[in-house]
Parts: sequence; C-alpha cells; structure tokens
Amino acid sequence: MKRRWVISGIALVFLICAWCLGLKPAGLFPPDAEHWSRTGEFFKAALHPAFDYQDPNVPDDADHIWVKGFKGLLLTLKFAFAAMSLAVPAALVLGFFGSSAWWPEPCGPVLKSVLRVVFFASRFFMSLCRSIHELIWALLLLSAFGVSPFAGMVALAIPFSGTLGKVFSELIDEECLDAAKALKAIGHRPVQTFLVGIVPSALPNLITYTFYRFECALRSSAVLGFVGIETIGLYIELSHGEFYYREVWTYFYLLLAMIIAVDFWGAGIRKHLNPEVAGR
Amino acid sequence: MNREERVTELRRTKSRNWYLRISAIVVVVMVAWAWLTSNPLFGRLSAERRWRNFQNFVSELVPNPVDKSGNWLDAIPWAWELLSGDGFVALMTTLGIATAAIILASTIVLPFMAMANRRFSRKDPFGLPGGQVSAPVAILWKIIGPFVRFSFVICRAIPEYLLAFLLISLLGLQVWPLVLALAIHNFGILGRLWGEVVENADAAAAKQRLASGTSRFNVFGTTVFPDVFNRFLIYFFYRWETCLKDATVLGMLGLLTLGKLIALAKGFHWDRMFFYIMLGASVIIVGDMFSSWMRSKLR
Repeated sequence: MKRRWVISGIALVFLICAWCLGLKPAGLFPPDAEHWSRTGEFFKAALHPAFDYQDPNVPDDADHIWVKGFKGLLLTLKFAFAAMSLAVPAALVLGFFGSSAWWPEPCGPVLKSVLRVVFFASRFFMSLCRSIHELIWALLLLSAFGVSPFAGMVALAIPFSGTLGKVFSELIDEECLDAAKALKAIGHRPVQTFLVGIVPSALPNLITYTFYRFECALRSSAVLGFVGIETIGLYIELSHGEFYYREVWTYFYLLLAMIIAVDFWGAGIRKHLNPEVAGR
Repeated sequence: MNREERVTELRRTKSRNWYLRISAIVVVVMVAWAWLTSNPLFGRLSAERRWRNFQNFVSELVPNPVDKSGNWLDAIPWAWELLSGDGFVALMTTLGIATAAIILASTIVLPFMAMANRRFSRKDPFGLPGGQVSAPVAILWKIIGPFVRFSFVICRAIPEYLLAFLLISLLGLQVWPLVLALAIHNFGILGRLWGEVVENADAAAAKQRLASGTSRFNVFGTTVFPDVFNRFLIYFFYRWETCLKDATVLGMLGLLTLGKLIALAKGFHWDRMFFYIMLGASVIIVGDMFSSWMRSKLR
C-alpha cells in the first residue's frame, strides 16, 4: 500500500470520528465560569499539595496524610504483586498450549489435529480473558462473591493472564528453534524440549515483558479504587468528591512517583538482562 | 576433568548480577507479603453465603424473557431491543473515542520523535561533524532529549481512567476528556515504543544525508520516517486495540459508551449488564482480529 494513501486514510478516519462524536475545538476549554474557576483552583493546588488534611473533621488520632498516602501505595502494590503472582503461572500454562514450537517432530495426523484443537482453544480462551477490561471483571466478581481482596486480585489477574499468555506464546514461537530441533532429534520429549531448549533462550524477553505488564498492573490496581477496592485510587476519588484538590495532588504525586520509580526499575532490569541491546 | 568438577567449575564461573538478584528477592518478598497480609482474604462473608450469592448472581444473568418462558428464542427480540436502543450508539461512541484518541496521540508524538532520540537529539547528530553550533543551541540540544523522554514517562505513568476522571471534572461531561485522557496516556506509550523503533532502525542512510548537510528534521521526515513507517503502524494498531478496551470502561464515568450502560444496569438488570459486557467483549475480539491481521500484513 502507498504510504500517502495510508496517511490520508487515517486523517479521513479522524475527521469522520470527530464529526460523529461532535468534537469541537471549543470543547477543549472549560464550558462556563464555574468550571473555569474550578480549573484554576485545581492547578493552583498542584503547586501546593497538602501536607495536612484539608478535611476539618479528621479525627485527631488519624494517620498523617503522607502516612495514609504511603499505606495507599502499599495497598496498590499489594494488589499488583498478588495479581501478577496469579497471572504469570496461568499465562505460562496458557502460553505453552498456545504455542507450536514444542510440537513433536514426526507428528501423526490424529495427534496433530488434537494439538491444533488445543492450540486454538487456548488462544480463544486467552482472547476471551483479555477482551473484558479488568474493571469490568472486578464489577462482575465483586457482584458475584461480595467485596474481598481476593476478588480484586483475581479480577486483575484474569485479563493480565490473557495478555501475558498471548505474548508469551508469540515470543516462544518467534524464538530461534535450532536448539529445540537438536533436542527433538536426539529423542527428548516435547515438554523437555520446551523447558530446556526453548524457555531458557526466551527467558530475557519473557521477563522484560512480564515487568512491563507489572507496571500496567500497578496502574490498573490504582484504578480499582474507583470500584470500591481500597487502593490509592479510592483516596483520590474520595478527596476529589469533597473538592479537597490539594489532597488529590498529594496522592497523585505519590502515585506518579511510585509508577515512575517502577518504570526505572524495569529499565534497569532490561539493561542488565540484555546489555548489548540497552547499550546501543 | 570429571563430571562433578566440571559442574562445580561451571557453577563457579556462572555470571552473577547483583541488580537482578536483588530484584528477584524484592519480588519474592513482596509477593509473599501481599498474600500473607491480606486478611480476611475472602472478605467477611461466610463460605456458604458466598456460594449462595454466586448462585443467585448466575441465575440473574439469564435474559429476563428466557427466565419467564424458558425458551431461548425469546432472547433474540430482547437482544435486538437492547442493541437498537442505546447499545448501538454506545458501541459507535466507544469505537469513535478509541480511534480519535490514538490518531491524535500519534500525530502529536510524531514531531517529538526527532527530539527524543539519543542519536538524533544532540548538537551533532550521530556525532558527525556538522559545523559550528552556538553555545545556547548546544545546551538546548543537551537538555531537550532527556526532557522529552521524561515527559513520555510522566504521560504514560498516569492511569487513563484517573486522568479522564479528573478531566471530566474540569471540562464538563463531554467526549473530549475521554479522548484527551486516552491520547495523553498513549502519547507516552507510543513515545517509548516508536522511540525504540527509531533507535533500532538502520542509520546508514540517515548518516549519509546528515553528512551531506541536510537538516535533522528534514532527514527524520524524509529518510527515517519512511523507513520505519510500517513498524510505526504495527504499534499504532496495537495501541488502537488497547484504546478500544479502555474506551469501553471510561463510560463508567458517565458518558454514553458501553461502560455507562454496564454501570447503569448493574444491580438492577444483571441480564442486561451481562449482555453489554459480552457485546463489548465481542467488539474487542473483532478489533483484536482486525489489528493482528493488519499487523501481520505490515510485517
């Protein structure tokens, strides 16, 4: 396809979307005086994050706002870690069945069709898991089982195992298969080939991608606060509801700092796993 | 050397990396802590109570007319009514928001690509001799790269749902806040993904043209960009797919996308809620298939 047609096509699609949604440049600004003053206040508060509660009714024995914020961060981390610890094993199993690199070499027609069915079933299952957003999973699970930390963790883990599993299987299938072929040729079983011949060479990529998903899990875990699970998102929503913008900014800065720190941690891991790539 | 000695030898010379080791320990400790400190893990309801809740919940998911008549054919007019009511409009809005947001994000991020790149964004791109550069300009090129890259980090660190929530309170309940929220978040993500593509691209042609005196923005637009165009599109479609999923739930903030219908039906019409969730999932699966088809064509 010609590049210019692709670019014009994309521009045209944008215009159609803007027209259908009624996007007007005026919408980029607050609609009336009340919203203007609220916007002003909101950004003024950005320069003065709260060092003490704005809420006058806080009991005396309550934690300091920064302590509360840090506890919120820990709760956010907790959901992300717990969810990833469920999602990674599930994704490894799904990714194994969703890849074809380990299939035995001389493969009878019956076995081949069985493997094909398993392959497509696991691919379909993964795409079903990830096509429902984690917030909606949370809504469903909380409605079905009542509010509990476990429901929140599983709600995060389901779509993440779908995405991780899909990418794992693709990474595994894109791996160079010389070692696997050699192992098969000297009589290794498929599972042995997979564990010894394929996984070790794909491991740096798998870990890098898992860490990237962990960053996403952290963001999603913060957002779970909006459906009533206690993470820092819940504190932001509550303070925002009372128009305590300076408290909102305190929590917001803490969240941002944590996510950026994890981002740099991940960059470090990438660099140490793959020195020659990172050094370029 | 016998086998044991060889194994000890290998073990002794194995590369050890303190950074990765400490990271692994931190991860294990955090996972253990996450599970051990969540009390009560399953909430305060008893196990039978949870089981009854679950059974009730599942029976509520059956479409209302089917529940009455026991005939699954009755679900068809029911589904059609939901779809032709708000369902279809919500579906199109979701699609429109995701598409507009990703196009906006990629348009804005494009000019920054020539500035965020470690090889481009310096006073002498690729270290090639390029004549005299005044001191302020040299300093500017020194700070502009880290600055743009850090702005990518900040933009992608903000969860899009939170951003949309805050923007709605400032801009009022309309479509722009959702589009902007998705666009800002994806600006940061595309900045990183596209940046990696540019850094891994073959630099020979770009160097050649820079050495012959062409300006860096010219080189980026006419040499690098055409070269990496397909790989840019691959990530463009990948992010579009993600936007589609996020746009669905952003409606829970009150705008007519599927998320709003789901949030409204929740607690009163579980059957409708389940229908809208499945509608959203099927759109995302179709979008997913379209995007992987496009990406496989572009590879």
